[in-house]
Amino acid sequence: MSQFLRDYLTVVWFGAIALVLGGLLLGVAALLRPNKPTAQKLIAYESGVDPVGDGWSQSQVRYYIFALLFVIFDIEAVFIFPWATQVERYGAFGLVVMLIFLILLLDGLAYAWKKGVLRWV
Amino acid sequence: MIASLLAAAGDWVAPTLDYHALAPEIILAAGIFAVLSIDLFLEPEQRWITSALSGFVMLGALVTVGTLAVIGDDTRSMFGGRYVSDEYALILKALFLVAGYIVVLMSSDEIERGRYHQGEYYVLLLTSVLGMVMMASSRDLLSIFVALELLSIPAYMLAAWNKRNSRGNEAGVKYYLLGVFASAITLYGMSLLYGVTGTTLLTDLGSAITANGRFSGVEVIAVAFIVVGFAFKISAVPFHQWAPDVYEGAPTPITAFLSVASKAAGFVALVTLTFVAFPNAEDVYQPFMWVLAALSMTIGNLYALRQTNIVRMLAYSSVSQGGFILMPLTVAGVDGVGESALKAVVVYLVVYAATNLGAFAVVIAVARKTRSGEISSYGGLFGYAPALGVLMTIFLASLAGIPPLGGWFAKFGAFKAVLDADTGWGYSIAIIAAINTVISAAYYITVMREIWMKDEPTGDTTPIRTPPSLGAALVITCGATIVLGVLPDIVGRFGDITDLTGALGR
Repeated sequence: MSQFLRDYLTVVWFGAIALVLGGLLLGVAALLRPNKPTAQKLIAYESGVDPVGDGWSQSQVRYYIFALLFVIFDIEAVFIFPWATQVERYGAFGLVVMLIFLILLLDGLAYAWKKGVLRWV
Repeated sequence: MIASLLAAAGDWVAPTLDYHALAPEIILAAGIFAVLSIDLFLEPEQRWITSALSGFVMLGALVTVGTLAVIGDDTRSMFGGRYVSDEYALILKALFLVAGYIVVLMSSDEIERGRYHQGEYYVLLLTSVLGMVMMASSRDLLSIFVALELLSIPAYMLAAWNKRNSRGNEAGVKYYLLGVFASAITLYGMSLLYGVTGTTLLTDLGSAITANGRFSGVEVIAVAFIVVGFAFKISAVPFHQWAPDVYEGAPTPITAFLSVASKAAGFVALVTLTFVAFPNAEDVYQPFMWVLAALSMTIGNLYALRQTNIVRMLAYSSVSQGGFILMPLTVAGVDGVGESALKAVVVYLVVYAATNLGAFAVVIAVARKTRSGEISSYGGLFGYAPALGVLMTIFLASLAGIPPLGGWFAKFGAFKAVLDADTGWGYSIAIIAAINTVISAAYYITVMREIWMKDEPTGDTTPIRTPPSLGAALVITCGATIVLGVLPDIVGRFGDITDLTGALGR
């Protein structure tokens, strides 16, 4: 087995221990605790107040476009933060490359704006 | 681990960019930006500008591919060999750009008539072509994957363009789900390969895999997964089920685009990986390619025989043609055959692109009048539209491999490569391919019989008016189909510049 795969063995051990520990605690609790279910106890827990409505509810379909637009800024952040920590090393080249990236992203936002996506109708 | 990586990184040096080598990509990217921005400020009746602009962007990129081929070094390598512009890449870039241009010509009238998001259509088309152009130059697992996604994601949206139509929806969902599934399989194979060898650079992978003499189990699985992922892209049997439904549901220009350019991009990745990353893995990929090629030819043909819709027939025919393109790869690892196998694949891709695009252009032209995709609606075509009848006959004859058309020379090259190998694998696949060539002639000739011998079923024999852009597409594809067959010298010159074994750094 290569060193690379051996490093991954840690992950396997971690997962195995997590499963064993969780199973052990829940199993012991199930054996020891008394079991007296009542109607009140079986209600879904919602921060102490009685639950209202169904577990499945619909949300506005318009939200998904905002979610998509959010992704523009999310991806921007994912790339900009690591780049910002090293920006001095990258120098002018890094600055130009990041500017090109930002302009392309902004084009997407401008497109969405012009198409009226930002207006709540 | 991260600390050691950071320490090893050392001083960062800006990579030197060869702007001439990157010019096709830069022009395409600027074109995408321009089309998207300009489209925002156009009135609905000015939207044809986006179509014209997209065509010029493709041609502009093609010009720089031409100057790259003529001026300066043959091979330009960037990012430590991860992005290479050599003769192999240039030929395929030219193929993708010309195919993209023909698709724009075929689309301009179709999409304008629908008045449905024309600007976005061309932006997505250009983006997909950009991904393909990058694929031709990629020599690294990561850049191959980025190129694969860049070309696939716009294609998913284009396949679902007829969104008011249930078939269009089916096409989009099927193509998206299976495409993502295939990408995941490919990516898993790539991650295993990186885990075992510790590198993503294809030339390093090639030497790392052969370093200890034989294959480990993980490497076998990794190679198999990568091949399976790309087999979806090229719709090889048994990973072909999406193709007929997607081809039928997508707008016809996009069907032509998917069956030619997208398929060719899958083959390009497969060929690059086969020759550069797995040069000594022939024991693994050879039987694999053999089975894929044999099944694709046979099953594609048998299904094509039963189709009554011309687009579905062409879809199964393209599955079967994919088998023929795979055929030379089954012997790519045999000493001394690699080069001719590679030439055979590239020549076949070029000829197939010209012929199949032409056949779809005729389908679009005929459907403008008949509003039908049934093969029976081609009855009497020669009587009222002689030019279209002759053109369709030429394209179908070329697909069937009848001399002196391009398809004949492509098949000849593929057979020559597998027979030169002089192995059992080579001879057995050649026999299967020969039988399938005969079977395929049957369904191509069925359409020809409708065109030449039957009468128009509804009795409506008004001539078909072909818009000029579609006519230009027909002239280009028909010219290429005939010239590539009559003057194989040109293909021979093609072959010389696709001297891949040298160009790929082996």
